[in-house]
Amino acid sequence: MSQGIYLSDVPVRRPALAGNSLARKMQRACRLSLPEPDLALNLDVADFINAKQGAAPREAAIGIVRLINSRDTHTAVFALALLDVLVKNCGYPFHLQISRKEFLNELVKKFPERPPLRFTKVQRLILTAIEEWYQTICKHTNYKEDMGYIRDMHRLLKYKGYIFPKIKEEDLAVLRPGDHLKTPSEIQKEQEIAQAAKLEELIRRGRPEDLKEANKLMKVMAGFKEDNAIKSKQLINDELVKLKRKADLFKDMLSASETPDFSNETLVELYSALKVSQPKFQKIIEEEHEDDVLVQDLLQFNDTVNQLVQKYNLLKTGEAGQAAQIQVSSISSPPAGSGGALANEINLIDFGDDEEQASSPQGQDSGNPVEDLLGDLNNLSFSQPSQGFGLGGSISLGASQPTAQVSSGSEFDLLGNLSNTPSPAATAQPPKNTQFSGDDFTEAFGSIEPENSVAHNRVEVSSSTSLKIEFDLSRKSESSINITSFFSNVGPSPISELTFMVAVPKSMTLNLKPQSGNFIPGYGADGVTQSGTIENAFSNNGKPLKVKWKASYVVNATPVEETAIFTFPQI
Amino acid sequence: MGNSISRVMVKMFGYREMKILMLGLDNAGKTTILYKLKLNKIKTSAPTVGFNVETVSFRNVKFNMWDVGGQDRLRPLWRHYFPATTALIFVIDSQDMKRLNEAKEELYSIIGDKEMEEVVLLVLANKQDLKGSMNPQEISDYLELKSHLDSQLWCVIGSNALTGQGLVEGLSWITNNTKTKDKK
Repeated sequence: MSQGIYLSDVPVRRPALAGNSLARKMQRACRLSLPEPDLALNLDVADFINAKQGAAPREAAIGIVRLINSRDTHTAVFALALLDVLVKNCGYPFHLQISRKEFLNELVKKFPERPPLRFTKVQRLILTAIEEWYQTICKHTNYKEDMGYIRDMHRLLKYKGYIFPKIKEEDLAVLRPGDHLKTPSEIQKEQEIAQAAKLEELIRRGRPEDLKEANKLMKVMAGFKEDNAIKSKQLINDELVKLKRKADLFKDMLSASETPDFSNETLVELYSALKVSQPKFQKIIEEEHEDDVLVQDLLQFNDTVNQLVQKYNLLKTGEAGQAAQIQVSSISSPPAGSGGALANEINLIDFGDDEEQASSPQGQDSGNPVEDLLGDLNNLSFSQPSQGFGLGGSISLGASQPTAQVSSGSEFDLLGNLSNTPSPAATAQPPKNTQFSGDDFTEAFGSIEPENSVAHNRVEVSSSTSLKIEFDLSRKSESSINITSFFSNVGPSPISELTFMVAVPKSMTLNLKPQSGNFIPGYGADGVTQSGTIENAFSNNGKPLKVKWKASYVVNATPVEETAIFTFPQI
Repeated sequence: MGNSISRVMVKMFGYREMKILMLGLDNAGKTTILYKLKLNKIKTSAPTVGFNVETVSFRNVKFNMWDVGGQDRLRPLWRHYFPATTALIFVIDSQDMKRLNEAKEELYSIIGDKEMEEVVLLVLANKQDLKGSMNPQEISDYLELKSHLDSQLWCVIGSNALTGQGLVEGLSWITNNTKTKDKK
């Protein structure tokens, strides 16, 4: 066979075959007795490399290319499948190895000087792989400048007359970096792994210029240079800006019509992108709590996202009227000049409609605090909302003091909702479900239950076309309240898969016993009950106790979700 | 990784090449030792941020000596220099008794690494010229290498980087104690 293709004439060193576990794992993944490439075995190798780091990516690359060049086509095809998995799962340390000149030369060792009339299967797969790398990691990763040799090899093969197969868009998508918001610690960890891999590679190469670069890199790694911190901040900011643009677009799409097209892929995609990023806000706030500007910005943005998510859900369940009431507060610059770079930046792509919204009556914003907790519920966490993330939520419940972290702008915003007298919009709503402004409820119950000192109050929490929820409340002691919920079916069709969740202000603890069941036949009164206690709820607190609840169930084979805030009567 | 040319060289001339890693706490004198060996000069240096590499030929051996900075922040990065190391020179400031325990801990965490299982260990008890410094025997007792290392070859030698005392002895000890390993 000819060995016509070389980037240089440096001899390729043949490493000694180590009988270590990596080599064994790789051999197992490529053994002849397998009928087809085994993804589980391949992923096992990837996990092993990711756990080990150090020399493992290098050993794997060297081992694989030897298997690819083995005489047996079967093994070579398997090895290429393994290579594909490793490239997709092992990240930068492995990319660095496949971009080595030696590796690439070895990879095309069996390619003749002039392209043959027909490519063998292995050749075709190798060409596919190189084309794929060329289209993805050479173009999109943060370290594309390290992938120069892949580009060179691509060009060389093209020059020699080799034709690269077309790559499917889906295959390329896998290797493209996702637009994920990452927390500072995640970014740092990624950086550490990548830089460690680079440093070891540079030391291994040992040429003077490599050593010079290694020295520089070491300074960065040891924290003598601020590069790392600055870079991670920059990354977060970039992602946030992207997310805000998405939120903007999402908002526009939602407000464009009363019945948006829910099969629209973009809409769904935007929704999930926003939804997924929410837990990350919390982590970033936890990690970067000393950066006030960022924290405020995030809190505000989180509120906006919450509103958008709620609006989306309402529209989806066909309650356009209520959805229209959710006036999504402006995504970009906060009103009170506590902006920061981000807000200014986003302004550039905003079309100036925020002024009007900033001045819009706050009373209409009744969805805002509700949604904060909704987000928590949707994440299925019963735990107390933690310090940063749930801030808005706890304020809305009126249980804890607004902390200093809240920007002047958003404080006004949130408190406005609390202290506001019942908004006309909310009272106009028939008491079906969702959203009552809290005070409204107190008044309502004040009239229904004039005697606050009665030990047992059975109060209606909510009643929709199918589900009626009632609470039986009694004060067990000065600090704890017994709560029993009764669920009745007021419709003809049975309710199934009923789940009920309650969130209390974070100063209190809620203990719920399991539900008595999750199925209520048609017109079944008190079909399901659930009891529990709320601890730490002092009677002399002054403020009425508010809890947030969410019920989801299936009726007529359609899933339904109801949620609202419920204000306890005085007990 | 037996390269055939180098194997022939070893057979004919006893010529070898090896990677030596020089570590130790900051201000132990690693960089001074390196340049004393390389240039036979005293080069006053600022604390090393990063590393220095020099090749030092001694008898028929070419030493690639890596001197990596010893400040706290650099220590986690030492492990990236471990692969393919033949010998470790751990430099100790014999006068700095307060940090002797710190040095001991660092030393044990290095030789506890899997990649460093096969290296020979030379401890240089540096700054022997200073008043009140501990002698090599005391350092050796303190490090308790005898009871902790059974498979690794080790040796503690007193040194003075300013005069070069002990450095050549150290290198020749390394040369003598790695030859046998190469043959198998």
